[in-house]
Amino acid sequence: MSIEGVFREGFVTTSLDAVINWTRTGSLWPVTFGLACCAVEMMHSGMSRYDLDRFGIIFRASPRQSDLMIVAGTLCNKMAPALRKVYDQMPEPRWVISMGSCANGGGYYHYSYSVVRGCDRIVPVDVYVPGCPPTAEALLYGIFQLQNKIKRTNTIAR
Amino acid sequence: MSAKLERLAQTLREILGDTLQSLVNDRGEVTIEVAAADYLRVAQTLRDHADLRFEQLIDVSGLDYAAYGNGAHEGRPKRFAAAAHLLSIKHNWRLRLRAFADDDAFPVLDSLVGVWPSANWYERETFDLYGIMFSGHPDLRRILTDYGFVGHPFRKDFPVSGHVEMRYDPEAGRVVYQPVTIEPRENTPRIVREENYGDVGHG
Repeated sequence: MSIEGVFREGFVTTSLDAVINWTRTGSLWPVTFGLACCAVEMMHSGMSRYDLDRFGIIFRASPRQSDLMIVAGTLCNKMAPALRKVYDQMPEPRWVISMGSCANGGGYYHYSYSVVRGCDRIVPVDVYVPGCPPTAEALLYGIFQLQNKIKRTNTIAR
Repeated sequence: MSAKLERLAQTLREILGDTLQSLVNDRGEVTIEVAAADYLRVAQTLRDHADLRFEQLIDVSGLDYAAYGNGAHEGRPKRFAAAAHLLSIKHNWRLRLRAFADDDAFPVLDSLVGVWPSANWYERETFDLYGIMFSGHPDLRRILTDYGFVGHPFRKDFPVSGHVEMRYDPEAGRVVYQPVTIEPRENTPRIVREENYGDVGHG
C-alpha cells in the first residue's frame, strides 16, 4: 500500500513528540502570580493590545489547572512558602517564568532583610525576563523563548 | 506662625499645664511632648475636652533617636519614642503628640486603642518595626514582617541585610532560613556638583 492513497483520504503523518509539543506550546495556562508592579505589565500583555489569548494562553486562578507560573514581582520572605506551595500544587509538566529584576535576583531589594534574592532559590526557573518592570513585549518574548524550549523536549523518543 | 495655631498652642498650655514637657510650633505644625506616664491621660483629654476635640487619630509612628543628628541626641537619655498624629475636625487643627519610653532595653508605652480604635494596627506596626511595647493593646502581634521574624528592622542597630535569608530545602521539602551569605554594601550616591548645573541662574 502506497502512502499516496492515505494522503488522498486527508491524513497527515508526523511524530508523536511534535504533536505533544505543539499542544503544550499552544495552550500554556499560567497561574496568576502577580506580586508587584510587574503584575501590571503582565496584565497589559493579557489585554487586547498584546492579547495572550491568541497564543492559547489563558490565565487561571487555580494552580491545579495551570502548567506555567509567571512570578511577576518582588518575592518577600513571607510570601516564599506560599509560592512554593502553589508550585507544588501544579501538575506536571510545569514551567516557571521569572519576570523582572526582583524575581530574577532580588533587584532593587537585593540587600534587603525581607526579600528573597531571586525566586530561583525557591522554585526552578525556566526563563528569566529582565527589566524593571519588563514591558509587555518583553514578557511576550520570554513566553516565546519558553515555547521554543518546550519544542526542544522529547517525551517519547528520549 | 498663624493666629489659629497660636490659639491652639495657647489652649494646650492652659488645659495641659505642667504635663506639657515641651510645645514646639514650627513650620505650621504644633508638636507637644509628654512623659510616658501622662501619655494615655493626655490623649484622653485631647479627644474629650470641649476646647480641643481631637476626634481622629491619623497615624502612630515609632522613632529611634540612637543616631539622631550626629550625636545631637547626647543630652537626651531616652532612645525610643512614639508619635501620634491627631486631627480635630471640629476646630480644623492638627497636632503631633510625642512620648519617650522610659526604658531603652524594654520600651513600654500605654496603648491608645481605648481612646482611638484606629491605633490598633498602627501600634502593631510600631511594635513590629521598633519593638516598642504597648501595654493595654488587645492583640500586639507582628503585622508586616515574616512569621517568626527575629528583631526589629527599623532600629538603627539592625543591619539592612538582616541576619537570615530564605531558600528552598529539597531534603526537608520546605523553605528554610539560613544565615545571610552576602556582604552588606555601603551605597554612596555619586553627587555631581557643577557651577550652573542644569542651567541654574541662566534662566
